[in-house]
Amino acid sequence: MRSFDLVEPATLDEAVALLDSQDKSVRAIAGGTALMLMMKTRLFQPTRLVSLRRVNGELRGIRMNGDGGLRIGAMTSLAELEYSPMLASAYPVMSQALRTLSNIRIRNVATLGGHLAHGDPHMDLPPILITLDAKVSAASKRGQRWIGVSDLFAGYYQTSLATDELITAVHVPSQPLGVCCWYEKFTARSADDWPTVGAAVWYSVHSNVITEARVAVSAATDRPMRIAAAEAALTNAPPTAQVFSKAADAAADEVQPISDLHGSASYKREMVRVHVRRALERALNLRSNGAG
Amino acid sequence: MTKTHRRTIRFKLNGRPAIAEIGTHETLVEVLRRDFSLFGARESCGQGLCGCCTALVNGTAVSGCLYLAAFVDGAEVLTVEGLGSGNELHPIQQSFIENCAFQCGFCTPGFILMTKELLDRHPHPTTDEIRHYLSGNLCRCAAYPDIVRAVKAIAER
Repeated sequence: MRSFDLVEPATLDEAVALLDSQDKSVRAIAGGTALMLMMKTRLFQPTRLVSLRRVNGELRGIRMNGDGGLRIGAMTSLAELEYSPMLASAYPVMSQALRTLSNIRIRNVATLGGHLAHGDPHMDLPPILITLDAKVSAASKRGQRWIGVSDLFAGYYQTSLATDELITAVHVPSQPLGVCCWYEKFTARSADDWPTVGAAVWYSVHSNVITEARVAVSAATDRPMRIAAAEAALTNAPPTAQVFSKAADAAADEVQPISDLHGSASYKREMVRVHVRRALERALNLRSNGAG
Repeated sequence: MTKTHRRTIRFKLNGRPAIAEIGTHETLVEVLRRDFSLFGARESCGQGLCGCCTALVNGTAVSGCLYLAAFVDGAEVLTVEGLGSGNELHPIQQSFIENCAFQCGFCTPGFILMTKELLDRHPHPTTDEIRHYLSGNLCRCAAYPDIVRAVKAIAER
């Protein structure tokens, strides 16, 4: 690894001031687990890293908003999230996904903000946060703005964050009671590998009709994204195996998978079909068991 | 390398005050080995997957190969060398020996430190919890059943 300038500001304002809108070799670092891999392989050679670990206040903590949703500071570690009783009761789908996300050492160090800002399509939480309709608050010298998690990812390892912009918190809205939610992670090589396909689903059922549906796919594609055709196949249809199958076919048709060491594009397309269907089925079973 | 690329870090290492002159890009496992001759943590996969470089920072396990040494400034670091006291082995170490929970021993410091974090959090873990906790540590000799038995034996004491 090449050496670099490491600065450790104590406030968010100082941190933002140390970033540079013109210089991509200046970056924020939180836990650093993902960035370190890039630096070790020299895919990324920073001139300056702005460490956020001494920044207290708004980047920290999990708290309930006035509307019953959760505000999660960007520097919250994935382990803190995993062990949070608030998260487990509000979004069990997230707590469950965290248990299989990398390993405990990584979760102890990696942060939610870094998990999102890295823009890696294989991350587990982005598709889930997309279906939960979460948004991030981002800060720069120009002020603060909101970005929906579904608009955060612009391409392979690319986000819509400006070079000098930081995620400060993630806001997850409260979810209606009885909503069907599931994340299906498929790893083709070993259980702790990065996923070949991640499929997150969210839908509400009233009088045996799906009234609203969100389906997001990650890992198979260049970025986590909602799949409109699958959502359309579900909406106003009954939650049956046949409808789920149709929606899964629509998802497989719509995605543009990319080949990588987790699978070829054509294999991933088939795995999208299988795992979107399974996610839809499991979300419903969970609800009928009273656990959702 | 310019001056801002180097710094002095002060931290607690295995219960004693420690100081090191480091490069900002250096990892915790590099500094532990080079500056303190602590060879229990070793870099193996270099990607945070195998657990051979595990150290505890403020009581939680980290992969030393992905952790900037600069980040332990002001923290408490524990390596396998700091677990026992004097000539006394730590109960986890003793149990690994009694249960033959290793063959070559390369991965053992990492397994022992992960077990330390596990037992600090869950003093009486179930087999599932043990497997969950240790799933991020690789043992190429495949001593896994013996490792799980060793952890169970301490928890049942």
